[in-house]
Amino acid sequence: MILAVLFANSVGNVLIERFNGVPAEERLTWRSFLVKLGAENLKGVKNEELLVACHKSVYIVYTMLGDVSIFLVGKDEYDELALAEAIFIITGAVKDICGKPPTERVFLDKYGRICLCLDEIVWNGLLENTDKDRIKRLIRLKPPSEF
Amino acid sequence: MAEASGKTLMDLISADPTPIPAKSSSSASASASASSTASPAAASAGSHLQQPMSTKTTLGEKKSKRATLTQIQNDTISVAKAALNPVKANIMPQRQRQKKKPVSYTQLARSIHELAATLDQKSSQKQLVNHVFPKLAVYNSVDPSLAPSLLMLNQQCEDRNVLRYVYYYLARILSDTGMSPGGGIPTPNWDALADIDAGGGVTRADVVPRIVNQLTSEASNSETEFHARRLQALKALTYSPSGNSELLSKLYEIVFGLLDKSKADVPVRCRSTDYVPCRFQVADVPNKRKKGVFGTKGGDKESIIRSNLQYAAMSALRRLPLDPGNPLFLHRAAQGVSFADPVAVRHSLEILSELAARDPYSVAMTLEKLASPAGALQDILHLNDVLARVALARLCHSISRARALDERPDIRSHFNSILYQLLLDPSERVLSDQHFIASFRTDERASGWYRLTREILKLPEAPSKDKSNKTKRPQPLIKLVMRRLESSFRSFSRPVLHAAARVVQEMGKSRAAAFAMGLQDIDESVHVNAFSDVLDDAETNDSSHPEGIRRTSSISAGPGRNETIASLLASLMEVVRTTVACECVYVRGMVVKALIWMQSPHESLDELKSIIASELSDPAWPAALVNDVLLTLHARFKATPDMAVILLEIARIFATKVPGKIDADVLQLLWKTCLIGAGPDGKHTALEAVTIVLDLPPPQPGSMSGLTSLDRVSASDPKSALALQKLVQAAVWFLGENANYAASEYAWESATPPGTALMMLDADKMVAAASSRNPTLAGALTRLQRCAFSGSWEVRIVAVQALTTIAIRSGEPFRLQIYEFLYTLAEGGVQSQLSEMHLSNGEDQGVSGTGLGVLITPMLKVLDEMYVGQDELIKDMRNHDNANKEWKDEELKKLYETHERLLDFVSLFCYIPKAKYLPLGPISAKLIDTYRTKHNITASSGSTDPTVLATGISDLIYESTQPAPAASNSSGLDDDLVNAWAANLGDDGLLGNNAPAMSRVNEFIAGVGTDAPDVDEENVFSRPSVGYDDMWAKTLLENNELEEDDARSGSSSPDSTGSVESSISSHFGGMNYPSLFSSKPSSQATAKSSGSKYQSTYEGYGSPIREEPPPPYSYSEPQSRESFENPMAESSSRSYGSDDDEPRKSTGTRFGTALYDFTAGGDDELNLTTEEELEIEYEVDGWFYVKKKRPGRDGKMAGLVPVLYVNQS
Repeated sequence: MILAVLFANSVGNVLIERFNGVPAEERLTWRSFLVKLGAENLKGVKNEELLVACHKSVYIVYTMLGDVSIFLVGKDEYDELALAEAIFIITGAVKDICGKPPTERVFLDKYGRICLCLDEIVWNGLLENTDKDRIKRLIRLKPPSEF
Repeated sequence: MAEASGKTLMDLISADPTPIPAKSSSSASASASASSTASPAAASAGSHLQQPMSTKTTLGEKKSKRATLTQIQNDTISVAKAALNPVKANIMPQRQRQKKKPVSYTQLARSIHELAATLDQKSSQKQLVNHVFPKLAVYNSVDPSLAPSLLMLNQQCEDRNVLRYVYYYLARILSDTGMSPGGGIPTPNWDALADIDAGGGVTRADVVPRIVNQLTSEASNSETEFHARRLQALKALTYSPSGNSELLSKLYEIVFGLLDKSKADVPVRCRSTDYVPCRFQVADVPNKRKKGVFGTKGGDKESIIRSNLQYAAMSALRRLPLDPGNPLFLHRAAQGVSFADPVAVRHSLEILSELAARDPYSVAMTLEKLASPAGALQDILHLNDVLARVALARLCHSISRARALDERPDIRSHFNSILYQLLLDPSERVLSDQHFIASFRTDERASGWYRLTREILKLPEAPSKDKSNKTKRPQPLIKLVMRRLESSFRSFSRPVLHAAARVVQEMGKSRAAAFAMGLQDIDESVHVNAFSDVLDDAETNDSSHPEGIRRTSSISAGPGRNETIASLLASLMEVVRTTVACECVYVRGMVVKALIWMQSPHESLDELKSIIASELSDPAWPAALVNDVLLTLHARFKATPDMAVILLEIARIFATKVPGKIDADVLQLLWKTCLIGAGPDGKHTALEAVTIVLDLPPPQPGSMSGLTSLDRVSASDPKSALALQKLVQAAVWFLGENANYAASEYAWESATPPGTALMMLDADKMVAAASSRNPTLAGALTRLQRCAFSGSWEVRIVAVQALTTIAIRSGEPFRLQIYEFLYTLAEGGVQSQLSEMHLSNGEDQGVSGTGLGVLITPMLKVLDEMYVGQDELIKDMRNHDNANKEWKDEELKKLYETHERLLDFVSLFCYIPKAKYLPLGPISAKLIDTYRTKHNITASSGSTDPTVLATGISDLIYESTQPAPAASNSSGLDDDLVNAWAANLGDDGLLGNNAPAMSRVNEFIAGVGTDAPDVDEENVFSRPSVGYDDMWAKTLLENNELEEDDARSGSSSPDSTGSVESSISSHFGGMNYPSLFSSKPSSQATAKSSGSKYQSTYEGYGSPIREEPPPPYSYSEPQSRESFENPMAESSSRSYGSDDDEPRKSTGTRFGTALYDFTAGGDDELNLTTEEELEIEYEVDGWFYVKKKRPGRDGKMAGLVPVLYVNQS
């Protein structure tokens, strides 16, 4: 289960978050934990360089993309490697939409489409589509493979 | 900083989504100027909208009234801005609709309603896609009142982009996250704004059924052109919470319907459809016709659409709850394996692997054909999807080691071969993938090579599998795995490093488990196996079992070759160690954990120690991680109790290096487990490890020196200094509570005849003698004494309490020693004596003025009372003796009352076994017994104190001595007994028989059975300190009545007691206090019946006074249990503790059902599903330790759950 997908800006405001199977009362803890983690470790990190953390049996993979930091939290089958896979797809999709590693401004401009993309990539806590073209088609409400 | 981001977020909703950079800056300045006109309101709105994370406020989780008002205010301001600031309006290019310009949530919502009504215009659609929907997405939740408009759009709109957004929003409304935030700006409280909005007052409950209805009808729409929308509709539906069974069955229906239809065409496309059982073929008949209509040739478009639908159905099925028992579900899932869509295949495999974990047999049967060499599963090997292959590996793994398939080796071998192929085709695999496979392989190998996985799996099955492994893929497997691991440690990607370290950790766990099960021999031979595998594959299979032979042969052939597992491991570990250099703390943490697990008891730990020490100097380590590593130590210890000493040494590094970061509770847990689990020899070391914490010099503020030394404390800031103090407190308290246990020195089981000790009137000599007799306790005492005057105030208090506890519990020379010490301390005279050890920390070191004296007084009073009582008793006894009088009943009664009163008094300070404890000294035993026998008083009535029973205190001391007995007492024992006992312990080198001790410790640690020390002890041990106030109050109350004794007894009692008692004891003809520990048990070595042994022991002294015979103890499993337990401890516990058995049993097992769902918050907690049936083991601190009937989704069987979540039946 991918427990959480979280986008934050450089000062720690949460831009997008999607929790799956995390009780509401724990979300706050996770949110602040992730943001703190980012604040401590993401300074000077290259774009898309993956960082890893774990807390008990829960894995966290996070990275920086432009002005935006992206966090993925997973457990069980979504260990650090699966999360790395997922975050790779997410960063790819975001870059595609924004054309380059986004500034916060660009990110917010494309906010709606990023949400749709994310919706196609992570569906109910499980990684869904991994193929770029497929995602592109799906967010335009086209079938995943064309005839 | 909030301001900066606030601007951008504000911009987003107030500005155009695609501004040219120059314009965006001007719009920002415009809005800035606008906000300057209404700055207070805007500022407050801004601060409300973004809530920086540092304040830990939840974005939008609390929609306060104030936020609402601000929002309204904000809306009006935006309107005002629009009116007052025409410049800004001009800047905005391409405005479709002028009135939409000031965008607030209200406006957005309103425009959705308006635009939905004017859908026919193209501009409206464009507006929606480009402006309204993207901006709406910024709000963190979707308001249900938008649903009617969304549904209208959904029905009428043709534009795909609009529709995609509509599905997105509908899904969010359906899901729980509709209510909870998804990041971004908090959605204003819609209820409060309802009057502004046309469609206000709509709640989620109102709209959800409508949405569901519409979506289900769309999902069932079979028009070809519609199928993309079907996909989305189905997807949106899966977001609805799974509690709704009606919806769930609808969904199953749709999904199965889709799969049914799609299957009709499968024969055309896929070669392996014939696996589907007949009944499904029957179901296909109606669809055959359809296939005819479209024809196989026209199929390209058709099959693509089908494959799309298959994808949607399989994805939806993956999100639906598993239905393990249902063959239909299984077959539907299995169908997916041969689908064309890769994502569908992956989902299908994931479902199957989850099912296989529960019911491998039926899954294997279903997949039988697919797994065959030409089957569909083979195709997946070439699939590009990493996750699909992972799922396949998982599936094959669980099937191939399933016990249910023992009689179908053919099937299993199919799966095995797939597994090997997965492992063995590195050409196309990315590095990370190898790890996935490697990690699963490791698991499997663990059961094969090490005969075990962490779950102590299927011991009997392992050998057979091992064999099959070897016939198919001989040794290169392990080499391959090792090589891959090594290469992955050279990766630059942190996740890969982390995963690799984790894999090594898992390997270490398996290895430890193998060691722990006493399979060292096998393990050794495994090394050899690998070696001889290199040598000669064929030979391996025949000879994998007779280890003895193989070992000798291998040793002879051993040198010269370096391909043993040991060497592979060594080179692997070398790489692992270098990984410590990684800059990521978490990777390093994992590496350290892996190292801890791979550390074997026989290897030197210097390297590990220095690694950990240097690691911990790094301030980057977060506290949680440090504690995690400590818990790893704890787990490691559970796996290998032999390592207690090593582990404690490592724990010591933690205590000294990062006192500020570790949790005292975690450390105490570790100490405690090690202390209890450590062998007799380890006890002393275990306690030493604790006392070392006390030896730490008090932190010198500001000094950062000593980072390189192990024993220096790096508590450079006040916070960690405080934490260190807490730690010391914890250690002191722990010492006080456990020193007696560790030293197996109990007043009521004293090995020394009381008289002899007291004959040495010189206190120094006495103490020296005592220390030589029991260095463990003496050492603890010395350290506590030092703490009592040189620590900080809090530490001193705890130290004094700890000393009192030991004084009460210990036998004579120690008690006297402590008494003297406390007395001097109360007088304030110690400081001069011990001042050379004194290190000033700016506090008053003495007791004067700070109240320590006041604190000590009640404690001294207890001891005084006891000594006075003993004095009196001895006097009386001498009188009676001289006059040759019998004891009269009144006299006995008085004595007994004193005894009881003292018992009560003493119990206030610490726990003592009332039935056995003799505050008046050993000599009072006979008289008390006489009185008890006469008056039929049950000896143990005192321990029926409900609190004592409820917390299980009474179990603690004796029960916990049973699993790990104190062998220091064994000197006086029958040799046979000692041997029998030692054999069970496995400490004397009888390797073969190690398992019982191991499992016993494990059981004990895991809290199985009635001892349950893991949790209970916390409770138990905390009691004395909790009860401190009571004690205080009580002593205040009793002050008057004690006053008269006070002045005199303090000084007089020790000496006078000594002299008098010595004469008395000689008079009694050397009759010892009938300690069971010092006594030589009579001949029955196996001690079949402890009751009779007890009797005979007693009668051996020819005592005229008979204690009440212990109630017959029922042995449920006489032989097995007896052999595990210390016969000595057993006899003693039976004799006085027998009464405790009854209540313990009755509080033992209860049953209950889960009232609510509960999500485990920690590793020791257990997930609950409503209505689940539970077996309640025990309660602790508002938590039940429960067992489930069968494992939950997470595979856990037992754990802690809140009491309130369980309905006790």
